[in-house]
Amino acid sequence: MLDEVADKATKAAGAATGGRVGQRPGVDMSGVRDPGEQDRSSKKGRTVKTENIFELQDVSVFYGEQKAVDSVSMEIQRNQITALIGPSGCGKSTLIRCLNRMNDLIPTARVDGKVIYHEQDLYGKEIDPVEVRKRIGMVFQKPNPFPKSIFDNVAFGPRILGMDNVEDRVKHALERAALWDEVKGRMDSNAYGMSGGQQQRLCIARAIAVDPDVILMDEPCSALDPISTGKIEDLMMQLKEDYSIVIVTHNMQQAARVSDRTAFLIVELSAGEKERWGQLVEYDETDKIFTNPSDKRTEDYVTGKVG
Amino acid sequence: MAQRTRLHYQEELESLETTALGGLDLVVQSLDRVLEAVEHQDVELAELVVADDDRIDGRYLEVHQAILTLLATQAPVATDLRLISALLHVMKCMERMGDQCVNIAKLIPLTGHDAPQRREMLDPILQMGKQVRSQVTQSKKAFIARDVELARDLVRQDDLVDDLNKECFRVAVEIGGDKDTREWALTMCFVARALERTGDNAVDIGEQVAFVVTGLFREFEDASHPGEAPTPAP
Repeated sequence: MLDEVADKATKAAGAATGGRVGQRPGVDMSGVRDPGEQDRSSKKGRTVKTENIFELQDVSVFYGEQKAVDSVSMEIQRNQITALIGPSGCGKSTLIRCLNRMNDLIPTARVDGKVIYHEQDLYGKEIDPVEVRKRIGMVFQKPNPFPKSIFDNVAFGPRILGMDNVEDRVKHALERAALWDEVKGRMDSNAYGMSGGQQQRLCIARAIAVDPDVILMDEPCSALDPISTGKIEDLMMQLKEDYSIVIVTHNMQQAARVSDRTAFLIVELSAGEKERWGQLVEYDETDKIFTNPSDKRTEDYVTGKVG
Repeated sequence: MAQRTRLHYQEELESLETTALGGLDLVVQSLDRVLEAVEHQDVELAELVVADDDRIDGRYLEVHQAILTLLATQAPVATDLRLISALLHVMKCMERMGDQCVNIAKLIPLTGHDAPQRREMLDPILQMGKQVRSQVTQSKKAFIARDVELARDLVRQDDLVDDLNKECFRVAVEIGGDKDTREWALTMCFVARALERTGDNAVDIGEQVAFVVTGLFREFEDASHPGEAPTPAP
């Protein structure tokens, strides 16, 4: 069921590349507005239609008895880049890991509240976590290619999932990840021989190869030099036409540069400072967060007045 | 947990603001001198005003360079960014106000040593000068205090200046019987005009105060749509 919904979404997103961003084929958008869709001006000044891809309702995450994230509610929109920023320990990585059930892999982790993905409860009983992670790919802070050839790295997912046209998929994924021209002559060489920036783009290609709907990035550039960072950022801007991207970043200028919307989380301390957990302070258009934030705590953080 | 950081940057920002707003004190000094020169036909004092404008221009360039450096090295955002953007506007206004003082100063020698001064014209001019001086000091005060109400009050003061400007024109038409008086009165109309523009610049600074505080960049009053609703209160 999840497969069906997400599949539809992926196809629609793919088809939209040719035309206007966010416009879906076969639907006359001129007079009709889907519920949950709204007009908004994007960074570039264009008006694009947006719809929610994720809806978080009072999401709290616990590791054992310890609360890590407290009651976050937010909507994440399709074909946009959503940035999560905040100081260390504010739960932004924990939160992004909720979006593809990566926290399932930690035995003591528990997620309260609801994560709605394409109108389905992501943590519902009938949902297959493996299918979730296929639809919602993830790229980590440190590039983590397999100790295999470049080709095998990208082909890994499609092969396991029994997808057809593996070679075409690999080429397409590498092209989308802006890596094809750099590696097309050495597809059989080991991925470990690539530079850090190339390895990270390989990991992005690996995520793209299985036709995801969403790409989650947990500090994807923090181990990279400025040139590689610039390449990944350019890539993100291109990829958001087809995919929805959520990024956790410590680099506020990066959030300001690439994201459409930014969520700011903060560390809350219990009385006596025995416990600490993350809380969502403000979630708004990125322009707003960086020119005129509503909350004093956001202001102090983005201007670097408190750390 | 919440410890203050980027202290050096904060100090730089504060000192930038002090230096920039200090430029308005230079304008007030020029204004005082040029008004005295108008009242007493003091050509030498007028020349001093012209020469001293280099200090105002120098301040403008100094702050401009400091702003570029801060933008390049500190990547300011949020209130800091709005402050820096506002200071750029303030400096432009300050520089314009200095130039208006120079414009007035250059008019003084044209009327000769014993120009046929007339009280009914000189009085509204000097009153305008006082009013504009008060606008400039108030714009600085409002900026330092981030006081939007005080900034908004500049519009009320500016209305008084506009009325006095019209009064000057009316008097000039009335007293322009003989050629010398007509010449002097017309020159005084230019003086009034320069003062009126200086007042407008003070209002512009007030608008920047509102921008820093609220994040809304709007004119208090739109000259092409007078009487329409100005900026909504924060």
